[in-house]
Amino acid sequence: MNRVITAGAVATASGLILTGCVADVPAPVMSAPPMAETAALLDPQSTAIIDATMDELAAADADKDADLLTDRVGGDAVTIREAQYTRADGDDETPVALPSGQQAVYSSAAETWPRTLATVSEQASEDETPVMYLWVQDSIDEDYQLRGWAHMIPGATVPAMPGTTTGAEQLTLEDASLDPTAQSVLDDYLSLLREGTDSELNDAFGADSYREQLFTARDTLTDAAEEQDGEYVDTIQSVTDDTYVMGTADGGALVFAPLEITSSFTVEDATVSISEADEPLLDGELDDKVTHHYLDMIVLSIPGPDAEGQPTVVAADHNLIKVSES
Amino acid sequence: MTVRTTALIAGVIGVLLLAAGLIADAQRPPRDVIAEATLSTSVLVYEPEMIAFAADSTMGIEGEGDLVAVTARPADADAWLAEHEATEVTGLPEWEVLATEAYEPQTAASASPSPSASASEEPSDEPSEEASAEASPSASASPSAEPEVDLLTDTSSDHWREQWEGTDRLEILASDVPAGEVLVVMDRSGEALASTDVGFVREVNDGWITPLIWWGIVLTAVGVIALILRFVDLRPLQAKYEEWIARRQRTGEDEDDARPGSRRARRAAGEHLPEASLDEEPATASAAPTPDPHDEEGRA
Repeated sequence: MNRVITAGAVATASGLILTGCVADVPAPVMSAPPMAETAALLDPQSTAIIDATMDELAAADADKDADLLTDRVGGDAVTIREAQYTRADGDDETPVALPSGQQAVYSSAAETWPRTLATVSEQASEDETPVMYLWVQDSIDEDYQLRGWAHMIPGATVPAMPGTTTGAEQLTLEDASLDPTAQSVLDDYLSLLREGTDSELNDAFGADSYREQLFTARDTLTDAAEEQDGEYVDTIQSVTDDTYVMGTADGGALVFAPLEITSSFTVEDATVSISEADEPLLDGELDDKVTHHYLDMIVLSIPGPDAEGQPTVVAADHNLIKVSES
Repeated sequence: MTVRTTALIAGVIGVLLLAAGLIADAQRPPRDVIAEATLSTSVLVYEPEMIAFAADSTMGIEGEGDLVAVTARPADADAWLAEHEATEVTGLPEWEVLATEAYEPQTAASASPSPSASASEEPSDEPSEEASAEASPSASASPSAEPEVDLLTDTSSDHWREQWEGTDRLEILASDVPAGEVLVVMDRSGEALASTDVGFVREVNDGWITPLIWWGIVLTAVGVIALILRFVDLRPLQAKYEEWIARRQRTGEDEDDARPGSRRARRAAGEHLPEASLDEEPATASAAPTPDPHDEEGRA
């Protein structure tokens, strides 16, 4: 019996000793290590999104079929491209070329939705300026979709943007970090577009060929209408829900703003006509009035508080999407 | 206390030490330990803190079929997980056990109110037709016309950063996961994962076991010898030894006992004494140095 007790004591002692020989479980890590890159998209992710978009766009371009723009192209981009396909079908021309190569990619730092991705393409040819693209992700479940693009204004420069280490701040139109707010600047620019070259706001913005062309067309059409005792009226509206603002490195902002523009041309006792290129987009039969519907995209650069310069449109496209009789 | 008694006590101590050492050796805890947890959801989450805790360890996930692991920013992963039932690995309460709990999204699901409805409708319509067409050759799939599920591609994958894929088991080195990112592991078919494990290397202070065994062996041997000597009668052997010693001591005391012609006899006869030749010529005076009187005077 004593031997059994002794053996048990030895075994117990050994077990206890060995239990003490094992180090304690390490203390838990209480705080997460910082991320090296906090942008919503890193280069491989944005490259995959851009490639998928350009593949879808190329497939649709090949067939001139906007129905193929399903996953990676959405919103106004489909409407605009569909109109370009329609025009191209009429005279067998190719739609507006959209370069697939990108020279700069700007990712948002947003942790909420919607969030954006913007790029500046390479120059497709000497006659064309680079294109600024805008992708939008509406929710975590939705893919980033190309929602718009605009060719850069000749001579314009895109301000420096944060890299993938931090990403660009996703701002709202009313964000108070901008003074004046992006909404205020955009409203002023729309007022300038409506009022024309005589507007007091003309000196508040940097020069851009977009509004110059708009003013020139307005003057020409107004003169033409008056010659026929008619009238020319255009309306310009922004689409606030589809307008996105990304912060720049200097504390300013890039505002991607779609604009709805209608140009109504009316003559007295006569029948209006439109160019052959626009006829595929005509809806109805023309009489004494014709209205052109445009869905434009402008990219407005607002300098930071310590940066020099004025708010300037750095990219803009004037996209005809429909011609109607009224 | 005699030497024999002391040796016997040492032997008892030796047996105890040896037993303790052998038991300790047999129960020596392993340095490499695997902490495990069973799972019941198709999605598993390792937060950045837990990944940092795992450091250089390997995280294993077992399931059936195609497994995929992806990383994302915490905010993006949280938004995705808000619409999926998931289990989170929260810690290591014991060396062999991983603590888990149901993942609780940190952001309100209202951050993205519209997508859940629109995302679920599209996949449910299209795959159901494809599934029925593809399922016909397969006996196992034919009874149910449920749509095929792919947790990874049913919704956008744009927010996932890194990706690992495997079948039945997936192993990921914790240090391969970018710092600060959340690791989300899922069974692509939506089936529940089986288990997850993390391998750790722990410190075991067992350097005393081997010396203990050797000391036990030595002391036990001493005790055994003392025990043997207690039961064996060595007196005859001792007597022989003492007699041999005494004979050796007597040897050499009586020179007359030397056998004629033996070396001892010759030595006794002085045979090996060196023969010294004495020179009769006295040493010359010049051979010895003569003290210089001037030196003595000078010194004086």
